[in-house]
Amino acid sequence: MIPQLSIQDLEKTFGAVKATNGASFNIAPGELHAIIGPNGAGKSTLISQIAGEIRPDKGRIFLNGQDITDVPAHQRPRLGLARAFQVSQLYPEFTLLENVAIAIAAREGQTFGMWKPLGSDSRLLGPAADYLHRVGLAARGQALVSELSHGERRQLEIALALAQEASVLLLDEPMAGMGAEESARMTQLLLELKGRYAILLVEHDMDAVFALADRITVLVYGQTILTGSVEQIRNDPQVRAAYLGEEHA
Amino acid sequence: MSRRVLIDLLCLATFALLPLLASWLHEPFLVSLFTRLAIYGMAAASLDLLIGYGAMISFGHAAFFGLGGYVVGVIGFHTSQAMPLWGWEGSSSALIVWPLSLLVCALFALVVGYLSLRTSGVQFIMITLAFGQMLYFVLSSLSLYGGDDGILLNERNTLPGLDLENPVQFYYLCLGLLVAWLLFCRRLVNSRFGYVLRGLKQSERRSISLGLHPLRYRLSAFVIAGVGGGLAGILWANYAMFVSPDMGAWHKSGELMAMVILGGVGTLIGPVLGAAVYLGLEQVLSLWTEHWLLIFGPLLLVVVLFGKKGLYGLLLSPWPRWRKPPVPNAPPAIANSEVRS
Repeated sequence: MIPQLSIQDLEKTFGAVKATNGASFNIAPGELHAIIGPNGAGKSTLISQIAGEIRPDKGRIFLNGQDITDVPAHQRPRLGLARAFQVSQLYPEFTLLENVAIAIAAREGQTFGMWKPLGSDSRLLGPAADYLHRVGLAARGQALVSELSHGERRQLEIALALAQEASVLLLDEPMAGMGAEESARMTQLLLELKGRYAILLVEHDMDAVFALADRITVLVYGQTILTGSVEQIRNDPQVRAAYLGEEHA
Repeated sequence: MSRRVLIDLLCLATFALLPLLASWLHEPFLVSLFTRLAIYGMAAASLDLLIGYGAMISFGHAAFFGLGGYVVGVIGFHTSQAMPLWGWEGSSSALIVWPLSLLVCALFALVVGYLSLRTSGVQFIMITLAFGQMLYFVLSSLSLYGGDDGILLNERNTLPGLDLENPVQFYYLCLGLLVAWLLFCRRLVNSRFGYVLRGLKQSERRSISLGLHPLRYRLSAFVIAGVGGGLAGILWANYAMFVSPDMGAWHKSGELMAMVILGGVGTLIGPVLGAAVYLGLEQVLSLWTEHWLLIFGPLLLVVVLFGKKGLYGLLLSPWPRWRKPPVPNAPPAIANSEVRS
């Protein structure tokens, strides 16, 4: 079976810092694969390379069997890659519905219409409302993004990723900065998505990771040191030493 | 009826009824002044498309104004001198000359935009300024076409059904084209393309991650704005029956930018108001002193400091204007319905 996303021996150096130093893992169709690692382990750099914002020095990235290492960032979504940002990247001056409508128009490649107003285009707004409904923002469609709470912005990030109808979702710390209640709601949302997409989840919230992940890869100093099931990772002495804070294990 | 629609209609009515007023007051020069307002308003509104909606601070927009005018001037020169231009004996028909001029402007915008849009921010400002100055010096060096002195035209272009030599008819043509241009721009900024363009300004990273290629949209907007600037230049050449390199000089770009900022960035109609106030003040104050910019400068400063959206924004903001709007701490659902209404 071809993995939906495959990372092979990725390396990236910034000056003297090896941000990525031999990262490899595969994500199978429908798998929720979590990446954990201490601060500065290179998780965000890794996501940026997969999304195409940063070019790796070495190594290859495969999406659905196709080598996308040299594909520009703006072409990767069309090949089935969607991303939710760690720090929300939304259109704050637009409503939620308009945000999602742009994502749908972009996916369909229908973005050069210069006459028909987007704000009354039911072919976009109808589906946009559905995506908002799926992430629990149905009632907020007419609100401006600048009025949203932090948690709602995270939900909208997910809605945009869903609207792209991608096969692989990159979720960069979707629970970042959330309270316990919001975090639980986001976990519930991701559980609903699980199995329908290949998901790469980077997350600090260990409860969420252990509740959600099929497999976990541990990243330390830019290197993937271990991939395993939740149980394997929980009980691995090397992981406990490097990451779970038990220095003397 | 919202206040915005009211203000827009009021502006339109003023412009539409102006010739009647002028003949009633026996002040035909008013028609001439308002023709200038309409022409500069069109140039400023097209610059606003770049600055206000695309976050592209172009400091070379007058280049399109100058180029549009020069194509009219050069063709007029060859036609009247019976001097074929690459074997073409020329034409004075607006239906031939104007589209040709717009095409030249579009091609120029395509090249300038493609090269300039590799940069952003201050570099973009400087590179558009540099392209504008390049065009200015090229025009100045065309000794066949008068060099620095430019070209005097014998006649305006001809349009079937209209007498462009008649000031009132020419004025209504300019006004009609201005209104059509503004309507087109308003449709544009609210269309899918417009949303993508405005989205790029708010978050380029998000746009790329949605699969949008920023250059395609910015370059398209740059070309559209260049065509708008060119059309204004065409009208100016016909209005003044004179073109000179100064039309494309950097201080003309600065004037257009001042009009946009004074009237309100990102409002389309605002820059037309800005052009009106700018040219009106120039008309009135320059009778009194040639250093009228000494008065205009502080005025621009006040407007920028106190109104976020320029004069147009001041007209739209609730009375009393010096009171700050309430900070949106209210429940979001309520704040929302008010903001969007």
